[in-house]
This record gives sequence, structure tokens and C-alpha cells, in this order.
Amino acid sequence: MVSLEKPVVNDRTPPSGSDPKQPLVFMRFRPAWAYIDGIREFARFFCQTTFGTQELADRACVVVQETLENAVKYSNSDPQSELELVIRAEGETIEFSVSSLPDPAHMDALREELNGLHTLDPEQAYLAAFMRASNEPNASARLGLARIRYEGGVELALKDEPGGRIRITASGRL
Amino acid sequence: MSNFEKVIAPKLETVSVALTPPATVRLAGTITSKDPSQDLAAFMRSVHQAAIADSLPQLTVDVSALTFVNSSAIRLFVDWATWVKDSTQRYKLRFVTSRKITWQKTSFMALTSLAKDVLIIDPVD
Repeated sequence: MVSLEKPVVNDRTPPSGSDPKQPLVFMRFRPAWAYIDGIREFARFFCQTTFGTQELADRACVVVQETLENAVKYSNSDPQSELELVIRAEGETIEFSVSSLPDPAHMDALREELNGLHTLDPEQAYLAAFMRASNEPNASARLGLARIRYEGGVELALKDEPGGRIRITASGRL
Repeated sequence: MSNFEKVIAPKLETVSVALTPPATVRLAGTITSKDPSQDLAAFMRSVHQAAIADSLPQLTVDVSALTFVNSSAIRLFVDWATWVKDSTQRYKLRFVTSRKITWQKTSFMALTSLAKDVLIIDPVD
């Protein structure tokens, strides 16, 4: 008899070696918009297949879509500006992080927006972002980061890395 | 012919757009382009203006098969709700949503908080 159920790998062992610090997924690619749909759908498939929950797969889609959109939009044109997407799981926590080389002109706005978000709980921050978008019809949407926190069920952290790179990390429950 | 019937649905790569008289718009697929307002804002504005010109009491936007959108697309729905809220000639904007699609649960809840008086959210399975 053939089973029609989708297989669940349910194995959180890192794919290379036995080091638990190794990520489950590591991808490096040029900051091109055309890649985002495919990588988002891979993240959906990977989370569904590895952890067996549709809910986590949906959250992964939002986190990956919006973090990659931000990274692509604000990357500079340097040949070293490739993006890195890392997915880790440890205990009951899953972590998505995206490293990029942004145009420095956008950094102050990004830090300010993240700081502002953290003054409100995720739902309040998302509602506030909707209100701002409604009140400022000609400004850019700026819903993405608030959406990641609320719909993705994660907290966001920004870390500076060598060479002018930054890493946005989204961490939440599995 | 009503103004609503005169609106032409755009033909787009990842999302299908259909108008069914007297007052239903259906969106199905995904919207994740860099600037979805280029493809859809003018169309949504035309539908809004047609609803007002036809004095429609209610306009239905069925998004239950719109499986994923980015935040720039969510912004289009914020704009639409704001147009109706700020209009002197209001109609009810009814969104048919799917309970099975996560982004719709969270985003239409937030949208409702913005324009309670003019929005109806109608979840289906």
C-alpha cells in the first residue's frame, strides 16, 4: 500500500557534522528580488517537512519574505553584498537570520524603526503600523518589520558584523 | 451598464483578478512583487470610484484564494479601507477571507481596527 501522507523528516540534526551550532540551513546568494519567492517557498517546505507543522511553515514564510525584501531593497551595489540566510533550531526555539551589506544611508532609519517597534508589544506595534500607513498615504508602507514580529511570532534583533554588514535575527518558539 | 461593469481587471502574472457584477471582486494567487501598487492601485481606485458612482451599498472583495502577499500588498488594502473611511459617500467594504490562511487572520484583524464602521470581514473555510 502506498502512503499518501507527506513524509516528515523530524530530524533536527545539523546536516554537516555533529556541531549543534551548525545551522540547519545556510544559503548565500546575490540580493535579487527574483530569488525571494523561491526561497520563501523553500523555507515553507523545509519547516513543514522538518517540524511537521503548517503553523510554523506559515510563520517562516512571513519572516523570510519580509526580511529578504528589506535586505534586497537596501543592499548596496558592492560585489560583496551577497545575502546570507541561516535557519537554526535549538531546544524549543527557531531562529531565522539574514546578513546583508546595506547602503549606510538606510541604517539610521532601520535602527530607529526597530527601536520604535520594541516599545510596543507585537500586536500593538502591528496595529500602530496600520494606523501610520493609513495616516500617511504617500509614505512607504513600513509594515514589514511589525508584520514579522506579529504574524511571524518572533522577536527581532539587529547586530553589526565586520565589513559594514548587518544581521537581522528573528527568534521565536518552534 | 454600471460603472462597476466598465472597470477592466488587470492581467497579472501571479494573481488573477475578476469582477462579477453587481459588486464582487475576486483576487486569487499571490502578490509579492516589489511594488504591487504599480499593478493594482489604479485598478482598486477605479473599483472604489465605480462603487461610489453606482451608489453601491456594499462591495465584496473575495481574497479567500489569495494565499500569500507581502506587506506592500497589505498596504493596498489599508489604502482602500482608508478611501472608504474618508469618503463622504461611504459603502460597506466586505472582505471574504479564509480561516485557513494565516496572513489573512492577522492582517484583516488589524485592518478592522482601522475602519470598523465601513469594513465587514467574512471568514469562510
